[in-house]
Amino acid sequence: MYIKEIKDMISLMNENNLTELEIEKEGVRIKLKKGASGAFERAVEYVAPQAASAPQAKAPTGSEKVDKKNTADIKAPMVGTFYRAPSPEAPPYANIGDMIDVGQVICIIEAMKLMNEIKSEAKGKIVDIQVDNAEPVEFGQVLFVVEPS
Amino acid sequence: MFSKILIANRGEVALRIIRACKELGIRTVAVYSQPDINSLHVKFADEAICIGSAASANSYLNIPSIISAAEITDVEAIHPGYGFLAEDAHFAEICESCKIKFIGPTPENIRRMGDKMAAKDSAKKAGVPTIPGSKTVVKTKEEAIKIAKEMKYPVIIKAAAGGGGKGMRVCHNDVRLIGAFLTAQREAEAAFGNPDVYIEKYIERPRHIEIQILGDGHGHIVHLGERDCTIQRRHQKLIEESPSPMLDAKLRKKMGEAAVKCAKSIGYVNAGTIEFLLDEDKSFYFMEMNTRIQVEHPVTEMVTGMDLVKEQIRIAAGEKMALKQDDIKFNGSAIECRINAEDPDNDFMPCPGKILTFNTPGGRGVRLDTHAYAGYEISPYYDSMIAKLIVHGKNRAEAIGICRRALDEFVIEPIKTTISFHRKVMSNPAFLRGRFSTDFIERLFEKGES
Repeated sequence: MYIKEIKDMISLMNENNLTELEIEKEGVRIKLKKGASGAFERAVEYVAPQAASAPQAKAPTGSEKVDKKNTADIKAPMVGTFYRAPSPEAPPYANIGDMIDVGQVICIIEAMKLMNEIKSEAKGKIVDIQVDNAEPVEFGQVLFVVEPS
Repeated sequence: MFSKILIANRGEVALRIIRACKELGIRTVAVYSQPDINSLHVKFADEAICIGSAASANSYLNIPSIISAAEITDVEAIHPGYGFLAEDAHFAEICESCKIKFIGPTPENIRRMGDKMAAKDSAKKAGVPTIPGSKTVVKTKEEAIKIAKEMKYPVIIKAAAGGGGKGMRVCHNDVRLIGAFLTAQREAEAAFGNPDVYIEKYIERPRHIEIQILGDGHGHIVHLGERDCTIQRRHQKLIEESPSPMLDAKLRKKMGEAAVKCAKSIGYVNAGTIEFLLDEDKSFYFMEMNTRIQVEHPVTEMVTGMDLVKEQIRIAAGEKMALKQDDIKFNGSAIECRINAEDPDNDFMPCPGKILTFNTPGGRGVRLDTHAYAGYEISPYYDSMIAKLIVHGKNRAEAIGICRRALDEFVIEPIKTTISFHRKVMSNPAFLRGRFSTDFIERLFEKGES
């Protein structure tokens, strides 16, 4: 994690009266921006690099390197909040390494207080899950990466 | 005041709303369809959510998608812009029930004025003149003659179920009326499966004059003067100006007061526009009310010095309007040209495609509201308007001069645009004299002046 770097950046900004600061180092880019009221905006950009050599900034699921050549993306068909399981106590519908089939429910997207079961359009092995539980997703956002079989 | 607003629209109006929000210190959320990913409104908003594929039904008209986007970004209000869901009472109601403020009128306002016959009724009840016409369907030629006599010729026979100019017949006397009445019925039957016709007074060579109003939701409504939108092609406005060359201060006051009366009678809140037809003898008739901010609102902004979108946001946030009618001053003359990606030499055929050169006009008195830029790909999925060129001068003659000069500087290539058309209008004698009516464009092309 980059807590120390972010703390340093915040001090730098406050000391020098900056409203926006962006630093790129070793393939990782951090951007901090203050809103009109002077408070820090919630959104902090944290761009993970393309190459696998730099630290995996966005890999909370601990995924292995993904070979993009033989994969299919399962994308969000709607806007909402992504859930891995039907309820907080229940186990996730699907994990990395699982074999899934077409029509199998793999996640939930909550939209306007309705829980929508999302079914897989691909058959194969899940090699990556690109969204965290309870994270907002937009239309077309990649949720799962599947190695078709 | 709101801390975050979602803009449920695209193109230049989305950018317009983002600008007002930024100036008010409000964070913005843009929503976009997949092909709009490189749109300016997406780039300039603080956050952006993709809400669907190209088709409007899947994206900009997709209520669940938009409300979802509003929820996950935690906004307090939605500005619908114009078009799309701006006059969708159902959408306004859903926003209300999701505790998101809809920046615009109430669902009831929208419903009332959305039904054209009910709107006319509301205007009548408020004592605003409406186009005289038969109250119901005219069944016999005897009835037709009687009504025509009451209203005085010329009259127009219109199909009750109609549109597109079919089943319409203009008559100047009884003899013509009888024949026309019967053929209009037959035509209506053939085109719409329904022979019902009604009769209205026919306004020859009308001017289209609309009055901008603002209501603050605490009972206070003011008018911000008129816009003359007579220059239209197939009922689409192309050029708008304020003040109208046809109005003097007395007529402006009269029409303004009529508009305010009409809006007050239905308890109208937020920005709205009342459209009138102005006859050659300066009598005016209510046509309809638009319950939204309009494309041509910048014309009013230039002349009054006000920011209408900011006013909309303030009203929605519950602020009382301190502005009094006497505070509103009109300064100089403003003209807006809608620049569309259309070929004026080829029946205004739409020309989507990539813009490679985009040289924008500047200098004193020039305002450009656009979402286009060099490298921008105009998609075929949405309307063809790519820019609004608005000029402001001390008087109409100066404004026209500035407009002509600005159009000369405005270079958009390689796609075809209506810039050349506007340049012709800015040199046209009838336009320069300020004497024209809604058939102006038709006559311009007929005469081969194009």
